[in-house]
Amino acid sequence: MNFKYRKMENLKNMNKLIQQFVIMVFLLIGLTSCEEDVTSDISLNSVERLVIEGGIERNSGNSTQKIRLTKTLPFLTNSSNPFVSDATVTITDGTTTWNLIHTQNGFYETNSLLPQIGKTYTITIVWNNETYTGSDTLSEVPPFDNFYYEFEEETLFTDEGYFLKFDTTDPVGVENYYYYRVFKNNIFTIVPDPGNAETLIVSDKFFDGQQRVGINPNEEVSFVVGDLAKAQQLGISKKYYQFLFELFTQTGNQGISFIGNPPPATIKSNVVNITNPKNRILGYFYAVDVEEDSILIE
Amino acid sequence: MFFLLLSFFSYGQKKVTVSGYVEDKKTGEKLLGVSIYSSTKAGNTTNEYGYYSLSLEEGKHTLYVSFIGYKTIEQEIVIKSNTIIDFKLEENSLILEEVVVNKSKGENKVRNVEMSVNTLKASTIKKLPAILGEPDVIKSIQLLPGVSSTNEASSGFNVRGGNADQNLILLDDATIYNASHLFGFFSVFNSDAIKDVKLYKGGIPSSFGGRLSSVLDVRQKEGNKKKFNGEAGIGLILSRVLVEGPIKKDSLGNGRGSYMFAGRRSYVDAFTFLDDEFKDNVLFFYDLNLKANYDLDKKNKLFLSGYFGRDRFELPKFLGTSWGNIVGTLRWTNSINENLFFQSSFIFSNYDYSLDNLRSGSEFQWNSNITNFNFKPKLTWYASSKATIKGGIDFTSYKFNPGEISSLNGSSIIAQKFQNNSALENGLYIDAEFDLTEKLNIQTGFRFSNFMRMGNENIRLYATGSPLTYDPIYGVYEENEVIGEKNYGSGSIIKQFNALEPRFSLRYLLSDQNSFKASYNRMYQYIHLVTNTTSPTPLDVWTPSGPYIRPQFADQVAVGYFSKIKEDKFDFSVEAYYKKLSNVTDFKDGADLLFREDVETQIIQGEGRAYGIEFLLNKNKGNLTGWLSYTISRSENRINGINNGEFYANNADQLHRLNLVGLLKTNTRWDFGGVFTFSTGRPVTYPTGRYEQNGLVVADYSNRNANRLPVYHRLDISATLNPKKDSNRTGKWIFSIANLYNRQNAASIFFREVSEVNGVETATGNTEATRLSFFGIVPSVTYEFKF
Repeated sequence: MNFKYRKMENLKNMNKLIQQFVIMVFLLIGLTSCEEDVTSDISLNSVERLVIEGGIERNSGNSTQKIRLTKTLPFLTNSSNPFVSDATVTITDGTTTWNLIHTQNGFYETNSLLPQIGKTYTITIVWNNETYTGSDTLSEVPPFDNFYYEFEEETLFTDEGYFLKFDTTDPVGVENYYYYRVFKNNIFTIVPDPGNAETLIVSDKFFDGQQRVGINPNEEVSFVVGDLAKAQQLGISKKYYQFLFELFTQTGNQGISFIGNPPPATIKSNVVNITNPKNRILGYFYAVDVEEDSILIE
Repeated sequence: MFFLLLSFFSYGQKKVTVSGYVEDKKTGEKLLGVSIYSSTKAGNTTNEYGYYSLSLEEGKHTLYVSFIGYKTIEQEIVIKSNTIIDFKLEENSLILEEVVVNKSKGENKVRNVEMSVNTLKASTIKKLPAILGEPDVIKSIQLLPGVSSTNEASSGFNVRGGNADQNLILLDDATIYNASHLFGFFSVFNSDAIKDVKLYKGGIPSSFGGRLSSVLDVRQKEGNKKKFNGEAGIGLILSRVLVEGPIKKDSLGNGRGSYMFAGRRSYVDAFTFLDDEFKDNVLFFYDLNLKANYDLDKKNKLFLSGYFGRDRFELPKFLGTSWGNIVGTLRWTNSINENLFFQSSFIFSNYDYSLDNLRSGSEFQWNSNITNFNFKPKLTWYASSKATIKGGIDFTSYKFNPGEISSLNGSSIIAQKFQNNSALENGLYIDAEFDLTEKLNIQTGFRFSNFMRMGNENIRLYATGSPLTYDPIYGVYEENEVIGEKNYGSGSIIKQFNALEPRFSLRYLLSDQNSFKASYNRMYQYIHLVTNTTSPTPLDVWTPSGPYIRPQFADQVAVGYFSKIKEDKFDFSVEAYYKKLSNVTDFKDGADLLFREDVETQIIQGEGRAYGIEFLLNKNKGNLTGWLSYTISRSENRINGINNGEFYANNADQLHRLNLVGLLKTNTRWDFGGVFTFSTGRPVTYPTGRYEQNGLVVADYSNRNANRLPVYHRLDISATLNPKKDSNRTGKWIFSIANLYNRQNAASIFFREVSEVNGVETATGNTEATRLSFFGIVPSVTYEFKF
């Protein structure tokens, strides 16, 4: 097992444990620590930026490839981000170029792109006379060896309920990165949680070429009898893994700044504005390979 | 140049030397910083062992020995040859006790060349109102100008805008690597066991090295040389006890030596049974302090001091953690002759922490520690009545264990270990203090420092030669590939650094009441605290400079004006400083530092600057004593890859900071104390936008630390009920209320997506801002008595 240059696998979830722990310690020493909602007292400056979300998904059971363009809002606004419908979007693999057409709500789609393993896809967006470009490479994902569910008792961090489980074998000698998506009755489900950075994404540094057994793709999502439980294992690039790591770390921040939570910083996109680099774009354009399975909880 | 100066000092008339020790008449404890001067104006002060040496012309002299809170001794002497005279000073109970800030050498901060130095006596610290009734050294020094901390639960403090890891914290010469108990609410210093605390913020003498911003020199009590004594305190969350007494008493009742032994332990866990949820938790910390000294003969003395402290928390079947320092110092001092004083210390210091995962099936323990051995010989030469020269060597050997994992309770976890790091740090220094003219006093010297990162270690080799490459297009640091590693055998040097650190201070007397001072110092720091949090935590790891992390260094210039008002009833000082820091460390955006060996891929280095003006007004005499301090300052870093490479406020930046301390002694049994603190909120980074990604709301940020927390202010008060004057009882009650008007000061304000609807956890798309404050109003009571 090669653990030298990486975090230790055993320490998975440690950040989360420590945070919860410190909160308990404060309670114990009887200090009247208090959390108060100050949303209405805070005024924030904001900078409007273009946002990209989406990318190319191989074997997702859907022949449409799509991305979405939106604009940022001030952080404490409780409405959906406004979409951008007047951009020109193209994707190329170096030989073929596809035009993505705006359908609705900021979605740009194409049905003619057939994703291929190992290809690097480059997106080009022209909007407001500025050009944005970025790329990602599609890596092959291994299949699920087994796909099932188990009932689990309540723990400190999870409620009791049925949880999805799977077994899968990592390909030998290849650097792999995985991302897990869970769907409840076909609706993508995710919870902002400190554990996401350690459970929803994983690198094979610690288990290269090994079979992993009984993996829960999302410890925060439990099912009840009658639910249709679906999970996807995505093969992702190292860059996307790093992007997601920062994203899940920040969205899981519980606000206790003195235990392992870095003060926040913007998460840099893989797409850049080549006309005016300071006018950054946010989000990620990805190319992923999908292994998917579903099961009815009975 | 030094030889020229030496010949200047030693030429001239027939001189003889008076030397000896000054001690407290009642307890026999050596007194440091006592002024001894003759009618001819020649004068000196006792060193940290209570030793003085004074060179006088042959003949008749009147000697004055004076120290704050003690009766001045006036003694006529006729000297023909070198003489040893020991003085015993009697505490002056008639004069109301005085608050002592910035009284580092006797009474004369105007005459003294030292600047940017504050001294706090333990007796002052114990009079200040305290959170949960526990007097605290680290919280008390934050009331001094130029000192701050990032929040109340911070084990660290910031001096003149420096990082918390830039303070050298010494307990009887031994380095304390983490001074925190209970995640920083308390420090490891038991105020019962402490004699005094001296903080050097600038003009740092060449005998100190290894940190950029300050030296906090904490000295433990030596113990009563005359009789056995005990004192104890019972507080709400902890109790403490101290015993002291003489070793080997002679017929006159004076000990050849003395000892002091102190301990304290918290007992919050004693109450956890009250709540079922907390029933089986473990939660405590304790400290043990020891000091002993023994006079081998008139000239040779031995000192032994030790400290052992630990925090332990455990939530059964969940998580446990433990951390603590163990330090020990053995010192030998020898007054070789009237003009030469030699001291030598052997020091051991260790800090370790562990983190236990107690979830069944995967129990394991994570351990990390830092150990150093230290040998410090030092020679002081009282060359003439006008000059003192000090020189010495520091040898330090470090061993860093960044982390190892072992299985607990027979779980299947495989034991693993990060590589140890070893290093040697050596310093050679000389320092001379002399009166150039009646008005001009100069202290100057240099320190030559050397740091060697030593094998045995395998050093990672990166594809481009460095662990990180900055990509200016994407604005991110790319981690470079490890292409192999190189083994350096035991005893071989991996990387070596050498530096010359000049130090210089001068004092010019404008009159007997006013002086002007200036200083310059260069400091080097070779070990760094790896943290990506705003304040240090017990889980932070010290890491040495080496092939990829360079030493930090700083240049500081300070000027000041010092004044006595109304015969020392008040004193006033104002100081301005400018500091330039190089190779300061910060973490890259999105750094992940916990439990990793290749920390060089997470750390980036750049430059820093800090500047400010500090005002301090002391009231030294009368029923009401205290001080007012005000600091206006800036502290900024500039690092490639952070904030577009522009200067940004670092975590210690605070524009305004004001402290008002008042201690009132009344004619009744009651004494009162009050402390008011006001400061600009510390820098934070607020989001400049929201967007969605993978079903979650994500925050966008622009510039690091571009926003401010709300203004911080707080009033703490205390009242002490002393025993009746004519009774034999010694017990006293101390009532205190921290944060009297229940201000909810923000420790942090954080922004997140609301993640719960009707008790179900889910992403909601809605956002909120939440303020975390550590405490509101905290009343407490403590009972203290002697036995």
